[in-house]
Order: sequence, then C-alpha cells, then structure tokens
Amino acid sequence: MRRYAINILLCAAALALVGLAQADMLDKYVLTVITFMGINCIFAVSLNLVNGYMGEFSCGHGGFMCVGAYVGSLLSVAFFTDSKLFGAPLFAPELAPFLFPLVLLGASLAAALAGLLVALPSFHTRDDYLAIITIAANYIIISIVENIDAIGGPRGFSGMKKAVNAMSDFADCPWMLIWTLIGVAVCVMTVYRLMTSTYGKGVSAVCQNEVAAEIMGVDTNRVKIMAFMVSSGLGGLAGALYAHVYGYVNAQSFNLLKSTEGLVMVYLGGMGSISGVLMAAVAFTLLVEALRFVIPWLNDGLHALSLLPAGYELSQIWKWVIIPLTLILLMQFRPEGFLGNRELTQVFPRLKRWITLK
Amino acid sequence: MLRVSNLKAAYGKIEALHGISFHVDKGEIVTLIGANGAGKSTALKALMRLPPPESPVVTGGDIAFDGVSILDMPAHRVVSDIRMTLAPEGRRIFGNLTVMENLQLASWSRKGENTDKEIRRIFDLFPRLAERARQRSDTLSGGEQQMLAVGRALMTECSVLLLDEPSMGLAPLIMYDMFRTLKKLNAEGLTIIVVEQNARLALQVADRGYVLDTGEIVAEGLAEELLHKPEIKAAYLGG
Repeated sequence: MRRYAINILLCAAALALVGLAQADMLDKYVLTVITFMGINCIFAVSLNLVNGYMGEFSCGHGGFMCVGAYVGSLLSVAFFTDSKLFGAPLFAPELAPFLFPLVLLGASLAAALAGLLVALPSFHTRDDYLAIITIAANYIIISIVENIDAIGGPRGFSGMKKAVNAMSDFADCPWMLIWTLIGVAVCVMTVYRLMTSTYGKGVSAVCQNEVAAEIMGVDTNRVKIMAFMVSSGLGGLAGALYAHVYGYVNAQSFNLLKSTEGLVMVYLGGMGSISGVLMAAVAFTLLVEALRFVIPWLNDGLHALSLLPAGYELSQIWKWVIIPLTLILLMQFRPEGFLGNRELTQVFPRLKRWITLK
Repeated sequence: MLRVSNLKAAYGKIEALHGISFHVDKGEIVTLIGANGAGKSTALKALMRLPPPESPVVTGGDIAFDGVSILDMPAHRVVSDIRMTLAPEGRRIFGNLTVMENLQLASWSRKGENTDKEIRRIFDLFPRLAERARQRSDTLSGGEQQMLAVGRALMTECSVLLLDEPSMGLAPLIMYDMFRTLKKLNAEGLTIIVVEQNARLALQVADRGYVLDTGEIVAEGLAEELLHKPEIKAAYLGG
C-alpha cells in the first residue's frame, strides 16, 4: 500500500482539481493556466525523449504539435459537428465524450507519422545537422498548413469549440482539464515505461555512443526512429489538447518560438529527467503568466523612479527578453538544469518507497 | 568459417585496403599486425560492417561467414545473427553509466532475459570489475576500462570476438593478464581476431598471423614461423 502513496496522492490531487473546477471554485483564468501547464508538461516530456534521453537536438517540436493540433481539430469537427467543410457530423454529438480519445489518438498518430517522415531522411546525420533539419521541418509544416485554404490557411481554423460544447451538453464537467490530466499521465507513463524497457536501454546506448551501441547489437536506426516517432506523437497529443482548449488554431502558434519554449523547459528541468522536466514545465508556465502582471508593475515602478523615459512603456514583448535572460543565467550557474539527468527519486532515494511507476 | 576475399575498402575516395584476403577457422586466434596506417583497424571495422563515415565503405571483394556473404548486413545483425562483435579501439565504454549498467546494456540483443549468470561469468573472468560494479565506468583505470570493453563484448554471447589494440595504454603486467584471459577464453571455444601494435605479444598468443603493410597483406603464416622470420623480425619486432 505504502508503495502507492504518491500515486494515490497524485490521483487525489487531480480529482480535487477537477472537483474544484466542477464546483466553479476555480477562476476561469486559473483553470486555463492549469490546463496549459498540463499541455506544456506533455510537450516538454515528449521532447525530452529525443533531446534528453537520446542526446539528439531536435528544434522543431512545435511542428509536430501543429500537425497534432490541426489533425485533432479536423477530426473532432468531422466527428461531432455540422460544418461547411465536412457536412453533417459522422457521429451523434452525444458520443463526443466517449469518442474524444479517438480524436487524440488520431492526432498523435498523424504527428508520429510526420515524425517518421522527418526522421527517415535525416537520421543519417547527427548533432547540428539534425537541428537544422528539424528547424526546416518546423517551417515546412507551418507553410503547408498556411497554404491549404480549405482549413483556413493563415486565418487559422476553428469549430472545435462545438465539439467541446457537445461534451459539456452531455455532462457539465471541465472536460478539457480532465483530458489534459489524462494526457499528462499517459505521456509520463509512456516515456517512463519506454525508457525502463529494453528499448530504452537502446536509446541510452545511442545517446552515449552510436558505434558502441551498434556493436552491442542495437539496431540504432530503428531505435532512433522509434523514439523520434513516440516523441513527435506525444507532441501531437499536446497540440490536439491545445487546439481544443483554445477552440481556435493558427499555424503561427507553433512556430520556432513554440519549439524554443519546449527546449527551454527541457534544459531548465534537466536533460533526461522526467520529474525535472515536469517541474520545469510548471515553473515555466507560471513564469510566463507571472510576467503578465510583473511587467506592468515594473513599468509603473521604473516610471515612478523616473528610470524610464516618459514616452516609453514597457510592453509584454519584454517577456521575450526576460525569459531568454533567465535561460542564460541558468546555463551560467546551473547548466545541468533543476535535476540534471537524475529523477527526483534518485535525488531523494527515500521517495522510492512511496511511489510505484510500473 | 570467416573468409575475406580480395577485400577493398575506402574512406571516401581514399582506398585503405587494396584487396586483402585472409581466413579464420573456428577456435583460432588470428592476429593482424602491421605498422600505423597499415589498415588493421580498417579491416576490423569492415568485418563488423560498421557504418561510414567513421568506418570504410567496402568497394570490392567479399566477406563471407560460413559461405554466406555478410556484406549486406548492418552491424547490429552481424552481432545478433553471426554472433561476432568488436571490442573497439579506445574502448568506447558508456562513460556515465556504472560498470553493471554497461554490462546490462550489452545484453540488448537478448531482450529482457535474465543476465545475472552471464554477468557473474564476466566478474569471474575479471574480478576487478566485480569490485567496481557500482562505480561510474569513466572513473576506472585504463586497464579496467579495457576489461570492461572486453567483458561488454562477451555479454553479447559472441562466438567470434574482434579486438582492436587491446594492449593500448596498458602497463605490461596488465597487458599480459589481458592476453592470458584471451587465451583462456579461446580454450573455451571463442574464436578471436586481434589487431595489435605489440606484434611480438600478439604472435606469442596467436595461432596464425597476417602482416599488413599499406593496405596489403605482405606475409602470412603460423605465428611461430612469423616470429622467427628475419624480415618480419627486422620490420615489426624490433630486430
């Protein structure tokens, strides 16, 4: 029993969160921030599989999120809503709460497939070259989406809100929070189980030394492609959730800046540490949100001290100065991130008695 | 068992092996000796079918195992199907893993089987590794790292072991120990191909030897004979 203490605690916390949201005791804004925390967790933990555990440098994770977001949106619009694009819904809208996992699965599979398309030609190269190829892939995916007029092109795509509403009509619950929490659990378990499996050992071997891995009998190409597909698939899951939380998607939301956010979270948390990256994803989301309030304060404060010229107002754009600056300071003083390549249970071995991940 | 015929191998446009032929029978220790740049390591990498650019591309000739060409096999299949593996030059152990984890990783091709027995066998062979089982492997001494590289190769349950410069950077005593262990493994049925700078030592342990010079085989024969050939003595054994 004791071995499940933390598991039970986490489940209870998730249930409490859903309960609070259900009872309308959570501010809508707070609820949205919490949901985005979850999405960022999925996004970062999945990227960590490639950039942390496998030691490659993928810079285009946002692209896979984009694929997931659009495919997920299209699926749920086709499945549950009456739309110009697909006509009558394929399923009765009452089925939405039960079939929504299919939407998420479809989005993940599509993103994994996109991952395969990128991985196949590019995994003969490594390091800088792979980084460049993934950046290019990110751009290509966005350009493709922006040039398909049927799904809105640069105007973006919407209509998923109706599918979410269909779920709410069935039962009035904070559906997207529930799906996001389930998504985080699925993502963490997938990555954890994968990394503790024999395949995971292959991933570590590839990270360490590809030639050595090969002479140990590891099919390095297969291992790399498989890990990349799982990673991009989970990135797609994050995208599908994101699209449904917002109710609107635009390809530019998934540009290089998004990919960079993922990198920041992974390096902040520690490469190859699920718990570290989870902490980083939560901290990063909080930091970004906190700056919404801090920057105006800072602006007022600096004006009061007349340190800023009278006509100049600090805008929210400064967020993108402060966040990278945080990253630079972090790399200076703690380059291994919060936890390095260790898990929380390795930093505090006593935790092991309270948690079961099998 | 292993037959290399007229093998040509190149790094890009530079041909490193100009058509070498040799064979290895089951249960033998065969050594390839020669000066720096003679193509010894290149031959082993080609045998292992390791991917370029670090390893050469075979441009001609054939490598056959039990009569079947292995030229189309990737390295991991040479390990899992042919049961041949390499303890590479410079060891290439997984530095930030412990000794134990290194050995466990090496049993990758045997997915999930219990490997305690094999690990115990490695520890019997190299008792020093047992003492250091929980230590990060990049903190080991050079000799211990070489033991780990050999132990790790043996964890793949290979029947043919290729060794690239196992004596590199080792003190003479440890070097002799290493070769004694190889001899012992050979007596238990392991076929060994060893590439060595220390030609005298290699020829003392081996059954047969091939002498390479700038990508060609210039002499071959029983190790005993090579040891006493005047021209070999002069060129490779220091008179």
